[in-house]
Amino acid sequence: MNDYDAIIVGSGAAGGIVACVMAEAGHRVLLLERGSALSFNDVGRDHLRNQRLSIYGHNAGPEITGNPRVFVDPHGSSRVVSPHELDYHNNAACVGGGTRVYGAQAWRFHPDDFRMATKYGVPNGSSLSDWPITYETLEPFYERAEWELGAAGDGSAISNQIPRKRNYPMPAVAPSPQTAALVKGAAQLGWVTTPVPLLINTEEYQGRAACVQCKYCVGFACPSDAKNGTQNTVIPRALATGNCELKTNTIVERIDVDERGSINGVSYLIDASGTSQRYTARSRVVIVSAGAIESARLLLNSRSSFHPHGLGNEYDMVGRNLQGHLYQRAYGLSPTKVFNGVGPGVTIATTQFNHDNAGIIGGGMLADDFIKPPIDFWYDSLPPDLPRWGVANKQFLRDNFTRVMHVRGPVQDIPKAEGRVTVDSDVRDKWGIPVARLSGTTHPATVAAAEFMRERGEEWLRASGCERVWSAQPGLILSGRQHQAGTCRMGKDPKTSVTDEWGRAHAHNNLFVVDGSLHVTNGGFNPVLTIMALAFRSADHIARILR
Amino acid sequence: MDLKTLRAVVDCLIPPDDFAGAYEAGVCDYLARLFQNDLVEQSDFFSAGIEAIDAEARLRFNGPFAALTPAQQTLTLQAIESGDVASAWVIPPQRFFDMLVNTTAEGYYSDPQQGGNRGSVSWIMTGFEERAES
Repeated sequence: MNDYDAIIVGSGAAGGIVACVMAEAGHRVLLLERGSALSFNDVGRDHLRNQRLSIYGHNAGPEITGNPRVFVDPHGSSRVVSPHELDYHNNAACVGGGTRVYGAQAWRFHPDDFRMATKYGVPNGSSLSDWPITYETLEPFYERAEWELGAAGDGSAISNQIPRKRNYPMPAVAPSPQTAALVKGAAQLGWVTTPVPLLINTEEYQGRAACVQCKYCVGFACPSDAKNGTQNTVIPRALATGNCELKTNTIVERIDVDERGSINGVSYLIDASGTSQRYTARSRVVIVSAGAIESARLLLNSRSSFHPHGLGNEYDMVGRNLQGHLYQRAYGLSPTKVFNGVGPGVTIATTQFNHDNAGIIGGGMLADDFIKPPIDFWYDSLPPDLPRWGVANKQFLRDNFTRVMHVRGPVQDIPKAEGRVTVDSDVRDKWGIPVARLSGTTHPATVAAAEFMRERGEEWLRASGCERVWSAQPGLILSGRQHQAGTCRMGKDPKTSVTDEWGRAHAHNNLFVVDGSLHVTNGGFNPVLTIMALAFRSADHIARILR
Repeated sequence: MDLKTLRAVVDCLIPPDDFAGAYEAGVCDYLARLFQNDLVEQSDFFSAGIEAIDAEARLRFNGPFAALTPAQQTLTLQAIESGDVASAWVIPPQRFFDMLVNTTAEGYYSDPQQGGNRGSVSWIMTGFEERAES
């Protein structure tokens, strides 16, 4: 006897959407979240302990103690890392997941992002591959994400590059003082620009207020609840049906199989003060939406005599191709003030270099930046030749905090199978569950693209009136972090992919992965809208087959 | 911790000018709290570094760090930053100095709730805020 039609593990960008679609279709859904539902005050405004700058801690989970991972550096030495360290590759663990505290850029991927291998060929040593679906297949679901979550943008700006049938439901974010200079600079260079699409209310939408223009989008919660995550849109809709039960502080230990090896539910723990109790729940399907690192970890930890290498892992593909984005950035000193204290701060982007760059595989988008707290600025944005202390350092902050123009953006990762998540044989979390072990890097072609984008960033700033321009050299790393993707890639061939185009594990008819893990490649854009679009598409499919 | 030396050190790192220096902005309070909480395991390391700065000053300029001229203080810290130390250090000078510079900046530029940036002085100085947080 099943307790539920579907159990969904993780209430982030994807899990929240799947819960909503399935509950509204009349299915009984159990939505399990390892973190808590966080209020605005729970998230707080600690400048040193947030998702953007997490020097001593986090504001959106997981807890710093008891949740380690193991990181293996490119030289092969490994160490145990905590959630606030960069090498942990954390994403928020709370209701809404990363969408509770994200910046909310709402990019669609470019049509060529779905056919990277066909367009560029496969570089030696990389696992570059095409998606099993095209942009056209996903287009209606992008539209749905934009309308059901709520996105603001200018649908006409780059519709010749990234076609769309319908405009955004809300007008684009208003310009900031730097916007006109960057538009003019790009025009001089002959580059296309577009307002940055955001999942932020630029006017009242679906009963929630417009943005109040505070300075705290990335890494924090929104004071007027104008930033649209799954926690304030689709999850409340799911709960309102009466068909969805949300359990928080719940850690899924393993996906269970019956006496014939078929998946029949999950075993989980409730993290209560003092004791942790174990429970099981039975369902017709299990949907894993825990993010690219934790989803892979859960599949690998779900070993049994039937599935000795974990679930979906018949061909050693689960956890491979971990990717995210190298984030290339450049800074310039503007002759005029570019900071007026009005958020979000990010306004204008160029998609000129996402593709068709001579000698480069892929490329990326460049945009101006969200308002940065001064300590973030001190760590991130100072010229490399500026002394790190003394009167010169202080006076640079005094004179130039409001005059430094920033452009940055995600560069498309060229994946390698060796960039991967495995489970560590020794290290366990506080519940005794083996932790994720992260190793490898992306392909060096990523660094070549990042270096190209660094030069474009500097070029844009110079054309926009900046005299002094600086940037940091990119290096070969494992990327992941908030943009983590790729570890259960979808595809047609069970030997080279983990799931089919719907996120169904090839060897199981009732196990689905729905989150960034599915991304075959991760585009040269912030990936969340693609995660959301795929979630709508898979959820429709799963709701249909369960009928 | 040697507070007299610490006060002089943080003011050399972020000196007073038209806007408060690190000490007046509460950076020593920030550091005290930090090394009693998040970095409690490194508080001995940090204290040893502050004492070593003073020893370095005495060897170079025959006086405690707090009594040196600003130019002498700067020369002392520059030597430590580059690892070019004259006295015997029981901890790696550059690793300590990196932690010192970072935590001082954190105290000065992060939110006043942490104990530093008193009166939001750095936020007003930079233009991040127009007035102190209420």
